[in-house]
Amino acid sequence: MASRIVEFTLNGRLTEVMVKPLTTVQTVLREQLGYTATKSGCKQGGCGSCTVLVDGQPMMSCLLPAEDIAGQDVVTLEGLTPRDGLHPLQQAFVDNYAAQCGYCTSGMILVGKALLDSNPEPLRDDIIDALAGNYCRCTAYEPIIEAIQDAAGRMAASNGKEAHR
Amino acid sequence: MTTQAYYLPKSVDEAVGLLAEHGPSLLVMAGGTIAMPLINDGISFPERVMGLRRAGLDSISRSNGHHAIGATVTLSRMLTWDEIPLLQKAAHNVGGWAIRNMATVGGNLFAPPPSGDFAVALLALDAQVVLTSAAGQRVVPLNDFYTGFMTTVVQPGELVSEIRVPVPAGQTAYLKFARRETNTPSIVTVAALITLDGQRVSDARLALNGVGPHPFRARRAESRLIGSVLDEAAIAHAGELAAEASDPMDDAVASAWYRRKMIPVMVRRALAQIVAKEASDGI
Repeated sequence: MASRIVEFTLNGRLTEVMVKPLTTVQTVLREQLGYTATKSGCKQGGCGSCTVLVDGQPMMSCLLPAEDIAGQDVVTLEGLTPRDGLHPLQQAFVDNYAAQCGYCTSGMILVGKALLDSNPEPLRDDIIDALAGNYCRCTAYEPIIEAIQDAAGRMAASNGKEAHR
Repeated sequence: MTTQAYYLPKSVDEAVGLLAEHGPSLLVMAGGTIAMPLINDGISFPERVMGLRRAGLDSISRSNGHHAIGATVTLSRMLTWDEIPLLQKAAHNVGGWAIRNMATVGGNLFAPPPSGDFAVALLALDAQVVLTSAAGQRVVPLNDFYTGFMTTVVQPGELVSEIRVPVPAGQTAYLKFARRETNTPSIVTVAALITLDGQRVSDARLALNGVGPHPFRARRAESRLIGSVLDEAAIAHAGELAAEASDPMDDAVASAWYRRKMIPVMVRRALAQIVAKEASDGI
């Protein structure tokens, strides 16, 4: 079968790609579009380093055929990063030393983003549960959990400021 | 060899039409959490694949005393669906968040042990599987669905379209014993449903996973419980009978010996939970 054109929204921008049958979102992002913040780890759905948000929900891009996301909204770490500076989650990861090799970081931050979008004041257990599918093999999880807690506080504080303006 | 065609049917009719056209050479996939790892690793290299994400099999409804759960309803959705707490508990015991956003109720029936910890709960609930083909539908009890390790009664041309779950009566318990708390393969998983008539058990369903070629019900253990009081002796005996019914395997998670040893322990704990629930409900 010939390749097909798939249209989807990538980080807010309407994107069109030509894909061979069963090409994954991970391959499209990294190899066709050059969005390499999404990592390629186990390709088994087991490590979480390839996590992207599809309509706001974390999914393993290594298991997701590109044709399945036609018309949907995909966010990668590139899309989270503002033009200037860092997203509060990114800044909190820096300030809490939550990254060492950085391979898991993109997935961790995106899961953190999806969590804080649905639950702005997560308990520690909520964070642990949300991160259960994402493996880190060097920083260990404690600074990552703390970074997400920290980011939740920062984002609540800045939302509060805006509300009082 | 790379995949030559990927189909995304927009309806069940279209899906079973494609199955009729291409036969067993067409690999059926829903969430992709079982098929894609094998394809990515080059263990499986299907020429043609059909994805069910857009086939309209993702609704949940209720009729005639049962819940009808579409085959492609995700486990994340089951986590928020609070009609049957046992299924919520089971959904939480599969994968992590991203996997649950992809993995489906129908797909979990095909997850070989030590995966398949959602299907084991469906087994305890006496679920039925609706198989659809171009010729029509047939309904198979989940209990008769498995024929061996990674083999089922699904015939060429058929696909799992719906799971029917009777509205449960009685108390349920779900216990997964594993190396970690979440996102982990099973050593032993127990799903139990007990109905009491006064002090005595009138119906017992004890489903196990991780300790056989597929999720299965420990029938002799169930028979031992029916008609008896849920006391220590009955529970211990049921645990032994469940262990006898098992056929566990050695893998990287646990040895067959250890798995078998843990069956009576987990059966006892699951039934103890039910005894405790009954006691607190009775107050």
